[in-house]
Amino acid sequence: MKIAPPAAGALSGARAVAALFAAAIAALSIHGIVFLAALPSRLPSASDWQRVAARLEREAQPADAVALAPWWAERARAVLPAALPVLAFPRLAGEDLPGIRRVWVVALPSAPGGTGLVERDLAGRGTRAVAAERVGALALSRFDLAEPVLPLSQLSERIDGASASLMGRPCPRDGGGALRCPGRAGAHVSREAREVDLLPRVCLVIEPPPAAGPLTLTFPAVPLGRTLRVLTGIVGETPQQADAAVKVGIALDGRDAGETEERPGTPGWHRTDVDSAALAGRPATLTFTVRAGRGHPRPICLEAYALP
Amino acid sequence: MTDLGTRLPRPSPAGRGPGRGARLLPLAWAAATFALLAATAPAQGIGRDESVYLVAAESYASFWGELARSPRAALAVLDRAFTVNREHPPLAKEVYGATHALFTERLAWTSHLQGARLGAFAFGALLSALLAAAGLELAGLAGGLLAPALFWAVPRHFYHGHPAALDQPIAALWLAVVLAYRRSLAPAPTRAAALGRAAWAGLAFGVALAVKHNAWFLPPLLLVHWAAASALARWRGERATPFPLAFPAMALLGPAVFFASWPWLWRDTAARLGAYVGFHLHHENYSWHYLGTLLREPPFPIEYPFVVTALTVPATVLLAYVGGFAHSAWRFVTSSVRVPSVHPERSPAQPDVVEGRTDTASPADELLWLLNALFPIALIAWPTVPHFGGVKHWLPAMPFLALLGARALAAAGRALWPARGGAVTAALGLLTLAPAAWTVAHIHPYGTGAYNELTGGAPGAATLGMQRQYWGDAPVGVLAALDAHAAPGARIWWQETTALAVRAYQRDGRLRADLRWADAPEEADLSLWQFHQEFRDKEYRTWTAFGEARPVVVLALDEVPLVMVYARRGAWR
Repeated sequence: MKIAPPAAGALSGARAVAALFAAAIAALSIHGIVFLAALPSRLPSASDWQRVAARLEREAQPADAVALAPWWAERARAVLPAALPVLAFPRLAGEDLPGIRRVWVVALPSAPGGTGLVERDLAGRGTRAVAAERVGALALSRFDLAEPVLPLSQLSERIDGASASLMGRPCPRDGGGALRCPGRAGAHVSREAREVDLLPRVCLVIEPPPAAGPLTLTFPAVPLGRTLRVLTGIVGETPQQADAAVKVGIALDGRDAGETEERPGTPGWHRTDVDSAALAGRPATLTFTVRAGRGHPRPICLEAYALP
Repeated sequence: MTDLGTRLPRPSPAGRGPGRGARLLPLAWAAATFALLAATAPAQGIGRDESVYLVAAESYASFWGELARSPRAALAVLDRAFTVNREHPPLAKEVYGATHALFTERLAWTSHLQGARLGAFAFGALLSALLAAAGLELAGLAGGLLAPALFWAVPRHFYHGHPAALDQPIAALWLAVVLAYRRSLAPAPTRAAALGRAAWAGLAFGVALAVKHNAWFLPPLLLVHWAAASALARWRGERATPFPLAFPAMALLGPAVFFASWPWLWRDTAARLGAYVGFHLHHENYSWHYLGTLLREPPFPIEYPFVVTALTVPATVLLAYVGGFAHSAWRFVTSSVRVPSVHPERSPAQPDVVEGRTDTASPADELLWLLNALFPIALIAWPTVPHFGGVKHWLPAMPFLALLGARALAAAGRALWPARGGAVTAALGLLTLAPAAWTVAHIHPYGTGAYNELTGGAPGAATLGMQRQYWGDAPVGVLAALDAHAAPGARIWWQETTALAVRAYQRDGRLRADLRWADAPEEADLSLWQFHQEFRDKEYRTWTAFGEARPVVVLALDEVPLVMVYARRGAWR
């Protein structure tokens, strides 16, 4: 038995669909080949990196930092001058950037995945002092921050003078400079670089003991300004509902000045501003009281700085 | 009245179908696949799972060898031999153990790693052969040539072809079971032939079960197919296919092969089976980076496997897959509503293999392809199923998509220029495969970091916040640097790479034997940070421990860092 020939309309319809399919294949094929062929030239070479590094070596100053755009171009850490902090952040809006006056932007302007968000964020808080200059597949520019955050004092740099106690018992200092509390719970305080909500933070890491406490951390003679900015976050992976909430009480010269809480399910580098205007211009004693609620306690990252 | 559209195809009419040479095509594909995988395997590192399977493979092989020599002695050490990796059935690992025993231990032809992986290449060869055979049947020579190519021209598929793991074997065996089931549906010339076909389906299912637990989903899926196709046939006024013998064969032979191949179950069977089932029913959720967020707990996004597929399969191949799926769906719909009245001598399962002529599609056949192309992906889409590991968890869908894509390309070629359909199909195939094959070559051996050009490759995926890599095999790219620069006796923290993998590198002489293992960056002289957003804290702990945020080596894929080596002062020379 023969197969009936398809109707002419069906044939032309099928041919139209096939033509569309073939055209799309051809277009994507050309796009794919062009993408692959062009990719090496869109990405920086070793010599591009070296040239940028040499330029920064010459021109960078104290209180400078380097921002990467896009943030994942972290080869910069291996190549750029070691003294320059590298900011590999997807966004810089909302970041204090304490102690930084000028930000060099090392960009890969032709690389896939560029968003321009880092430059936009910096443009919103300063002026472009050095226009973007191409160095091979890299581009170097500089932004000077209009209102840099310049702390009078920074807690993470004062741990050497701090003391801690757990439920009234002092926590002695170990050989690495960390404060280690007595007991099996392993509560301790140390200065570390740790992850908070996927980003690096240099802070005082406090591991509160489960269902014990409070852990008290005291910093004597801290120069204060009008505002004490306290930043806290849970270290590492996103806190889950089973994790304990951690409360941090803040006292200035023995007086309660505020409290912040790290709750499960709320990742982030959380900011609390304490009015310290009454103590501005003179040193004061800062006390942080850390309590973990019920559940699995997670280490917290604590930083604070006094702002003029 | 026709059957359910399930009769086997006969050689295509008009002499334009597969000839004798074409019938050798599956063998040629198998040989080429084996050779290509073998040639490209040494560059690829040892993943977390594979490192365990390598140990299991040798342990299982030693048991079977001992069983042949001294059954009593072997049975005395059975538990010890099969304790390792008892959460997964053993057959693929037994194959790896056998190839290792033969080619490495006995013949000394290969390294230890390559000896075990030869078994994996054999599964890859099987997959290619099955795809070529099915492609020939569905779309003639073009189908036989294109179907395996469309599967392997995807960087992540190519990657999974190498390790002595379970994902690629189960993809091959899933296809084998479906093809055997399909063949068992066709009217057989004799009762014995019918029983033989059913037995093949049962055996294939047993082998699949003995490789990975995915296979347990096959009988229900195929039952759904048979029930739906029967209902459709009745609706069309056709005679439905009788209950396929393949099902009782699967019910009998599947567990028999599963049990026979897994001596671990020979003792304390109920408890050990319970532990096996329990492990997979309550599989842990690994953290996973997806579009800028970390997936940690259910409910997971339903679209996850579809989005990851769309972002990782090279665009032309992706279009062929999607086009093939749509083509099949269209054939299913149109053939379902068409009144069956003609050509009982022609198999509805046999598609349009003749240039310039539209064919009669079989709704049952189309339904079979569609179900198998979709189900493995849909299964992972289920919001409580752990979402991690990328495409490997729905890899069994991909051969079907490749098959349908090949047929769609061939159909397009014929529709565009009936008189020169072969040439047009060849051109379309070339256009489809050229950028994809280039991508495979470009990405290898870092296949778990592969993203397509629509995503912007690895850089685009990094900006999107996708999982950059997984399995801990990327440090293979820094082994030479470690050998050259690590201080004698340096302790190395390997992060995602297992101690078993490190030992395997050292055993094959790819890493200095004096380099030691460290459990944490704080205990290490060298830290190999493998970029995993979910473990980023461990990199920053390295900075703290080493007092340094400056790596000594950066291994990057298109400037996107995969591995950074950090060193304490004096540990890198």
